[in-house]
Amino acid sequence: MYADGLNNMPYEGLDFYDIDALLTEEELMIRDMVRDWVDESVIPRIEDSCREGVFPDEWRKEIGEMGILGAPLKGYGCPGLSYVAYGLICQELERGDSGVRSFASVQGSLAMYPIWDFGTEEQKEKYLPRMATGELVGCFGLTEPDYGSNPGDMITRAEDKGGNYVINGAKMWITNGSIADLAVVWAKLDGEIRGFIVEKDDPGFSAPEMKGKHSLKASVTSELVFQDCIIPKDRMLPDVKGLRGPFSCLNNARYGISWGALGAAQSCFNSAKEYALSRIQFGHPIASFQLVQNKLSWMLREITKGQLLAYHLGKKKDDGTWIPEQISLAKMNNVDVSLEIARMARDIHGANGILDEYPVMRHMANLESVKTYEGTHDIHNLIIGRYITGIQSFTREP
Amino acid sequence: MEITVIAEGNDGDLHPVTSQLVGASSRIGDSVTVLCPGGWGSAEAASIPGVSKVISIEGACFDTYDCRIWSKAISPLANGDLVVAAASPTGREICATIAATRSIPVLQDLTGLEEGIVATRPIFSGKAVEECSIALPCAISLRANAFEASQGEGMAEISTVNVDSDVSISVREALAKANERLDVSEANIVISGGRGMGDPGNFSHLYEIADEIGAAVGASRAAVDTWEEIPHSMQVGQTGKTVAPSLYIAVGISGAIQHLAGMRTSKYIVAINKDPDAPIFGVSDYGIVATWEEALPVLKEELCRLSN
Amino acid sequence: MSANLDRGNCFRRGMTVAVLIKQVPDTTAKIGISGGFVDESAVSKWSISPYDEYALEAALQMKEAGRGDLVAITCGPSRASKALTEAAAVGADTLIHIEVDLENLDSIQTQSLLAAAVKRAGSEVVLCGKQAADTNGGSTGPGVARLLGSNFVGMVSEISSDGEGYLADRMGPNGGERVSVPSPCLFAFDKGTSELRRPNVRGIMMAKKKQIEVLSPSDLEVEIGDSTVKLRGHSSPPQKAPGQKFEGADSVAEVVAKLREEANVI
Repeated sequence: MYADGLNNMPYEGLDFYDIDALLTEEELMIRDMVRDWVDESVIPRIEDSCREGVFPDEWRKEIGEMGILGAPLKGYGCPGLSYVAYGLICQELERGDSGVRSFASVQGSLAMYPIWDFGTEEQKEKYLPRMATGELVGCFGLTEPDYGSNPGDMITRAEDKGGNYVINGAKMWITNGSIADLAVVWAKLDGEIRGFIVEKDDPGFSAPEMKGKHSLKASVTSELVFQDCIIPKDRMLPDVKGLRGPFSCLNNARYGISWGALGAAQSCFNSAKEYALSRIQFGHPIASFQLVQNKLSWMLREITKGQLLAYHLGKKKDDGTWIPEQISLAKMNNVDVSLEIARMARDIHGANGILDEYPVMRHMANLESVKTYEGTHDIHNLIIGRYITGIQSFTREP
Repeated sequence: MEITVIAEGNDGDLHPVTSQLVGASSRIGDSVTVLCPGGWGSAEAASIPGVSKVISIEGACFDTYDCRIWSKAISPLANGDLVVAAASPTGREICATIAATRSIPVLQDLTGLEEGIVATRPIFSGKAVEECSIALPCAISLRANAFEASQGEGMAEISTVNVDSDVSISVREALAKANERLDVSEANIVISGGRGMGDPGNFSHLYEIADEIGAAVGASRAAVDTWEEIPHSMQVGQTGKTVAPSLYIAVGISGAIQHLAGMRTSKYIVAINKDPDAPIFGVSDYGIVATWEEALPVLKEELCRLSN
Repeated sequence: MSANLDRGNCFRRGMTVAVLIKQVPDTTAKIGISGGFVDESAVSKWSISPYDEYALEAALQMKEAGRGDLVAITCGPSRASKALTEAAAVGADTLIHIEVDLENLDSIQTQSLLAAAVKRAGSEVVLCGKQAADTNGGSTGPGVARLLGSNFVGMVSEISSDGEGYLADRMGPNGGERVSVPSPCLFAFDKGTSELRRPNVRGIMMAKKKQIEVLSPSDLEVEIGDSTVKLRGHSSPPQKAPGQKFEGADSVAEVVAKLREEANVI
């Protein structure tokens, strides 16, 4: 590393229990491709993007060029990769920033996936190949201002007007909304939740950006507003009714997040470790103090556990033997520990940790959103509770 | 043991490394013949003690560097049991080509050489050291300044060989060096300035030194933030570049943790700062408590002296 | 800087460009010594040697300009095939693995094998890195060129075709020069003007399908013989002395002397 002018110091992931040995050559190459891209394109720009509150369009193009959007989907120009590969991609993207991973999660798991699984052949041919390249950006409209954890009672509705559908209502907290070419919108048609593809130029549709976020600042978050929004009949997703549709999308995204959050955690862990080795107080690096070592050790422990959880879940996704509660556990656990790791890392950095010289507080703020979206921590907890007891405790019976 | 030394040229003269090649060779060999490609420095080579004879190889082909043609001219005369060159880019190439011509093994960039032949060289960019024994005949190149030069005065015979070959390579144009300063992440030696330089104009002193030793010039974040003239591309540190050169010289840099993060793993660190309590002294291998105004001119002078 | 080189039509039909790549421990990997030798099994990551990557990128650009075939050749143990897969993922067409236990090979043996493979592939133009990141030697390029009887240009940053020959930007003893050189030629790359391109998923998945041709020395009709170079051992570099502090500008001379004598960095 000293001589020859080739002094690049790229990122090293944590792999304490040698999960790399379980990965295929392609999975490793794909992981390294994304890792290098994050080092070259995201890390140099992320703090500025975060300050300015923008998601650079170059990232959309470059992510598209790498061919990683809609990772586990097969056909229609999609990558057709293993779920393990999808997880690895999310882990590397989120090591850069949760907002970058959110872009890919929404595009792949929430917008491409429902078209792929529930759409007509024409819809698949029309949208998927161009979404796989990043040319068309998609978003997912489920959450409403008054309906978050309780999507079943949503009030956005679609009416059959003979030649077309008319949608009225509003969605909120929609990643990619303002830059999206299309939105997969869930609305009630005759009281039953159906999926509809709304294109950005459809009359009566607008997607204003939500400002003033302290979290996921390098990500576009929007409202979707439908005021007598008219869409042709061929835009409905025929093969799904009820919450099964949106929930299957969310399960895929949640799976990716269980890997992704650990990427952010590793970024914080690396920064804390380097800082602790460099920072001298009372004549010694703080890495030599027991309380600091205790924290670093806990971080390594939780990252390792989380990685094993995510990897095994990925294998179950690949062989089809998974159940949704397993995804809930992984998402909940891995995001929870990652947020704790980010906070602990900030603490190790001392006052320096509040500066955007270091990534820790940005990750910390992002993970607050990641803990809430795609099913809050508490909701996933209750999903497990219902699995254990057979009794749902989400709502009170009247 | 007969040794052939390929002299290293330097702008038409003899490069001082040649007397190190002779020194190392004469300590283990019986006779040392020095070949001077292009005839450069042959008189000077003849005056190095330990040299048995000098062969000046002359011809028009030496105007343009063409490895194949030069090696073709030199090989027939490089018939020692041991062929020794300098580990410069040209030296290595010629040495390797001669070795391939004679079907003898070659080992490059040695830092140690003993009878036997036992060769020591750094590998993995200096992360490890390798020791090999090689049977003769073989070819080697020696790292500059790793061996003691031959001391005193000698008086060897010079003979001339004329070569008639044509080079295959022709130079279309010289490439301008302007605006091609080494980037901090590419250089083996980096000299950085901090806010302690006082004025961005004072970085010219750092550039002068850098040009002298082929180093890149870097800057701390404080300097980059304070002065427009110091671009972000020069910044070494947490939000700048992370570098690990063989030598990092920090001038007027206090050594805040953000800067250390960018250069802490450099092989050797020299710090020049007027404040004896500056944190940079905590990581420097050689710390000099002095103002840059006083220290830099001396540094420049000493470095100039070394290379001449 | 002069105008960029115009790639032009580099290839005649059926022409190939060969790239010699070496798999080395990643330059960020820790190198551990065990039992007096570098512990290869402890190397966490293996990569294509960095200067070879510049050569590979230049070769890919030549291939794109002329629709020729890119042959990637490596000489090494079985793990080295991964380097060929990485080259395939960015566009190498033909992959040749000369499988040998590299530790026992010296420069003559390595160069004979590589030269034989190049001849077998029929390439008139060969690219490689100026030196490998493990040995830091730089013998392979010029040595293979000599065995092939081809011209050699080292310290190259960029090349392009020039009629029947090539133009190369190189750092020579007289400084930076753009030189023209006829075919056949071997080019050894220093830091190139273009970084190696990133692969994409499609390239990675297609690389999986590309056959690697595995050759032994006897397949190449090369008699390896015994090497006259014997590895005696590896050791860690000497420990650094603790930091020294000096007062005043007068001490600069002493420090400079120490940088040369103690530290050997200038």
